[in-house]
Amino acid sequence: MNVDAPAALDELRELIKAGGAARYPEVRPLVAPLSGADLAAAGRLLARLDPEEVLREHPTTAQVQVAITGHGTLSTLVAPLTGQLARHGVLARTRVGDFDGYVFDLSDPAGGIRAGEADLTLCVLDPFVVFDEVPVPWRPQDVEKVLAEKLALISGLAAKFRTGARGTLVLNTLPLPRRFSAQLVDHRSRALLGAVWREANARLLRLGEELSGVAVIDLDPLLAEGVAAYEPRTGVYAKAYLSPELLAEYAREVAHLARNRVGRTKKVLALDLDGTLWGGILGDDGIEGIQVAGTFHGEAFKAVQKVAKQLGSQGVLLAAVSKNDAEAVGQALREHPEMTVREADFVRVTANWQPKHENLARLAKALNLGVDAFVFADDSAFECGLVRRELPDVAVLHLDGDPAEHVDRLLADGWFDVPELTAEDRSRTEKYRDELDRADFLHAFDSIEDYLRELKVTVRLAAAAPADVPRVSQLTLRTNQFNLTTARLQPPDVQALLADPRALVLTIRSADRFGDNGLVGAVFARHEADGVHIDNFVLSCRVFSRGIEQACLAVLLDHARETGAGAVLGTYRPTAKNGIVRELFPRFGFERVDPESADPADPAGSARYRHDLTAPLVRPAHIDLTADLERASA
Amino acid sequence: MNDIDDLIGLVRDELGLDLTAEDADRDLDELDGWDSLHVLWLITVLERDTGGRISLPELIEARSLQAIYDLAVKR
Repeated sequence: MNVDAPAALDELRELIKAGGAARYPEVRPLVAPLSGADLAAAGRLLARLDPEEVLREHPTTAQVQVAITGHGTLSTLVAPLTGQLARHGVLARTRVGDFDGYVFDLSDPAGGIRAGEADLTLCVLDPFVVFDEVPVPWRPQDVEKVLAEKLALISGLAAKFRTGARGTLVLNTLPLPRRFSAQLVDHRSRALLGAVWREANARLLRLGEELSGVAVIDLDPLLAEGVAAYEPRTGVYAKAYLSPELLAEYAREVAHLARNRVGRTKKVLALDLDGTLWGGILGDDGIEGIQVAGTFHGEAFKAVQKVAKQLGSQGVLLAAVSKNDAEAVGQALREHPEMTVREADFVRVTANWQPKHENLARLAKALNLGVDAFVFADDSAFECGLVRRELPDVAVLHLDGDPAEHVDRLLADGWFDVPELTAEDRSRTEKYRDELDRADFLHAFDSIEDYLRELKVTVRLAAAAPADVPRVSQLTLRTNQFNLTTARLQPPDVQALLADPRALVLTIRSADRFGDNGLVGAVFARHEADGVHIDNFVLSCRVFSRGIEQACLAVLLDHARETGAGAVLGTYRPTAKNGIVRELFPRFGFERVDPESADPADPAGSARYRHDLTAPLVRPAHIDLTADLERASA
Repeated sequence: MNDIDDLIGLVRDELGLDLTAEDADRDLDELDGWDSLHVLWLITVLERDTGGRISLPELIEARSLQAIYDLAVKR
């Protein structure tokens, strides 16, 4: 990529010296394109900034608290992690535990590094967790025994940790450096060591599947890229048991988890066509001339297409944005016999001669998403530069050079990584395409009322069932606009609310003449002595402006009155993105109440509201509404 | 790397520490923002710059930037 790294680092140095924390918003565009040694250098510089000072200057900065613990020396992880998170516009607040303190740190989440409060707790595991306790001389059976003990210890710690901690616990597999396997001179034992080691790693990986709130990073794919697991001098003399290069790659993976926690996972992959999705130029070479399979370059582009299709099947919205003739593009996508990605795989194919940033902005508006949800990939330096300049919030991937390398570059930053997929993800492209049809339908009506009547909206409001937990959590993580307090909830958090008799978690499902929207929103409330408190209300951007929020609030107010509550109280906490719900409460008859005392943990300034329930809220006539707030008996 | 000022400049620029020529002989613990683990980064940079191998234990035990410079360059 054409990035002037020395210039970016100089500017970063200058920025930190001149303004420090005050100029933090300028950091992301500077470090986003950096990698390798340059990013490490940026991380060391950024680690000098006091995150608390940054938050005082810019209270709405996205931030994650990371508690770091493990077996070896781990302070060296802070700089790469700070750099990687800064690339995604996320401020790192890190605490590093004492050397070899993981048993203590995980069993007492309130003590030491206060792992219980952290968004992410990294328990960094290395081969010496095991080999420090293997006797000398040793056989594979000795290693197997220690592995079994450590696995039991770690699973016990993980299971216990989840009960006292709000964040995600991040574990990792153990690399097996050659310096251990080569100590066994017979190949039979060496193979056995490899087998017991991998069995232990497989059990570790399964912990992530068995325990919600636990994520396990598989280091093998990172090592397979040619990164050394261990550096002997820093290992022996400084007890840094994983090499600095491996820690840097590990930090990259952790940053993807962190980005998801703060709702910054990307949602759309916008792809150029000529030179990006296929080889050649459709306008010059014709349908028969473009390369999508068979030839050397054709195979490289086929691999890119397979990855695009694979991502699309998991809820990533694919869009094509190409300077091309629309008819020819449609024909190529429909009729080329060897094309892997077809028209139906895209949420929209835009082929025209408009500037790409305008096409991207228009698409974002039609999908009701921010442009910061977009990743844009193009082989042209000109197009990439223009989009970078006009839409700095779009992540731009310049896929230049050999197309064989494009797949790795497309996947390098885990733009779309999530903790787990939900049923909604599988059909997302279809749902958004319906949404674009709805927008066209809207243009055919004179008034919004006529449109809503003809749209035939049905809404079902119901107490959340255990099966809804992953999707409800995902809504709090993905939704940035209609999100009253932006309280991000992991699946265990939602699970805990379902078990709380005072808490009320309501799911919102909607449908209309164009199809089923699925589970599109949630209300989080709880019964208190002074009334029903709305802790949060989230609604997918796909179903805004249809009166769904009014219908749901009306049901909640009626429910509060019927259960004898004196009032309904709610909070709005402003973020950079949720301005759309700033006036939600006053619009529906809530009165602003002054906070009893200024909350120091809430520098952004929340607004609190109260509805005294004297007059019911009207349910919109155009919505066919059913409500079932009774919780299914546990 | 030609003299101690180059090393001070390197540490100042790369780690964002506020250093002057007077800090060459100060104990590393007295330098604002210095962390003992910075030597793990420094050894890579110094070895690349000088083309020679440096003893990490000796580098860890060096108490000032001048001592680090002597160890890396003046041998």
